[in-house]
Amino acid sequence: MDDYKQLYEAILNGNFKIAKEVTQQALDKNADPQMLVQEYMIPAMNEVGRRYEANEYFVPELLIAARAMKASLELIRPLLVQQGAQPAGRVVIGTVKGDLHDIGKNLVAAMLEGSGFEVIDLGVDVSPEKFTTAARDNNASLVAMSALLTTTMGSMKSTIEALKSGGVRDKVKIMIGGAPITQRYADEIGADGYSSNANGAVALARKFVGIQ
Amino acid sequence: MTPRERWLALFAGERPDRIPTDYWATDEVTARLLKDLHCNDVEELYCKLHIDGLIIINAPRIRDHHPDDPDADIWGIRKKVMEYGSGSYNEFGNHPLESAQTVDDIDAFAWPTAENHDFEAYRTLIQNAPRHRIIRSGEFEPFLIYCAMRGMEQAMMDLLVEPDIAMAALNHIFDYYYELNQRTYEIGKGLIDVTYVAEDLGSQTQLLLSVPLIRKFILPNQKRMADLARSYGIHIFYHTDGSARDILPDLINVTGIELLNPIQWRCPGMEREALVRDFGDKIIFHGAMDNQQTLPFGTTDDVRAEVLDNIAVFSGARWICAPCHNIQPVTPTANIVTMYETIHQHGTLS
Repeated sequence: MDDYKQLYEAILNGNFKIAKEVTQQALDKNADPQMLVQEYMIPAMNEVGRRYEANEYFVPELLIAARAMKASLELIRPLLVQQGAQPAGRVVIGTVKGDLHDIGKNLVAAMLEGSGFEVIDLGVDVSPEKFTTAARDNNASLVAMSALLTTTMGSMKSTIEALKSGGVRDKVKIMIGGAPITQRYADEIGADGYSSNANGAVALARKFVGIQ
Repeated sequence: MTPRERWLALFAGERPDRIPTDYWATDEVTARLLKDLHCNDVEELYCKLHIDGLIIINAPRIRDHHPDDPDADIWGIRKKVMEYGSGSYNEFGNHPLESAQTVDDIDAFAWPTAENHDFEAYRTLIQNAPRHRIIRSGEFEPFLIYCAMRGMEQAMMDLLVEPDIAMAALNHIFDYYYELNQRTYEIGKGLIDVTYVAEDLGSQTQLLLSVPLIRKFILPNQKRMADLARSYGIHIFYHTDGSARDILPDLINVTGIELLNPIQWRCPGMEREALVRDFGDKIIFHGAMDNQQTLPFGTTDDVRAEVLDNIAVFSGARWICAPCHNIQPVTPTANIVTMYETIHQHGTLS
């Protein structure tokens, strides 16, 4: 088997051009796309997350790693779809209504994507109704919400209420995050989980879908 | 003592008569407080709540928009107003440097100049300013502006992948502020007490940028700006949100900050006791009233307890009691009043 360690290194070092090149070369040689994801991309993003938690990586390093991972995944995704490969889970993610801040949400989305999840990113200022419809239409297993402001975190509660009245609440696990969010707040509004950072969010999502 | 004398005593390493206070809030909160407390203006509000708030005076702009875009500010950024029900805030609606590919593209931007300021108007303002409050003039927060001009994610990635572009833009922003602040300080010589130097270096859990990146892109210009202020006898008020402990020695030794705001003590590394132990003899602590949980969502008892806690924790250090950043509209008036009443009641030092 060819060794695509270069792909791992390119993602870890945030070099999207090399990540793309190596991926294309691998696919040209008929490498198994699922093998590339499982053996190189996911481990690379795991290591990125570990370095972030260890204060070795910071937001710029996370961003370039995510960009490299996405560049590679763009080439691989159509083949995964063709093969009928199942994602680790399907996540509907967004920044809640009234809030335009998205860097944290984008990092969580990228880390989830790099960990084998299918991510449906609804963007910013997402209404409770939009979360509900997207979760239902996409048959999501997870709903992830982000808020930066104390004035907008209340939208998380209204979104959970909308998911309940829309009949979707029992079909999804709800995870929340953002600067003012705490575990206590998650418990108070009936979310299933909270994480203070992107790496923790991946661990939480994995736990929810039964992956260790 | 006047509010100004209280602050200046702290800068001189002395004990004021009581712990000084400061006020940061959104416009909606100020309007509500004025109404709820039957005050006609901010000065009356400050007197009623015993707030030692400062007065900000800067040289007014002659033209408030970018020469190439009448709808954009001087940086070419159009504001997007975001409503969240009980208020609104401004966000960046576009990023004028988003598509810049080279340093030449950066240099080609129509950067603002100090010429766009009315320094005679500033002279009148500063000479007529009341003398019982601290006067703050000048400001410097270049990376924030670069993030707005470039888009936050690209700006952060630039530090690693397009360092020349980032450096060129940051230097343009520095050049503008250096001249603006220098002319401001010259006119306000002897009348300006503090200047504002800032950069949000911390996230909720750790630094946003690594220490080497901060040392390369942020600190050198920050030091030059702080040195300029110091040469006029102006004190440095420094703001960084979040967990910034790991860069604090640099801020103290390189930039030469004298005051750190806002001390978000719930963030890892910002525990007050350790900050007092390690840096208490070097800097004034400004803030420390939690604005993510206690002020907006706590009870008045929680607020009172936090003020009393802070009084105890900072007893061997220099502290200015203030909210961690702008008080938001979700915060009950009673919590705000409790904060200032408690510090007034228990903050006597003599």
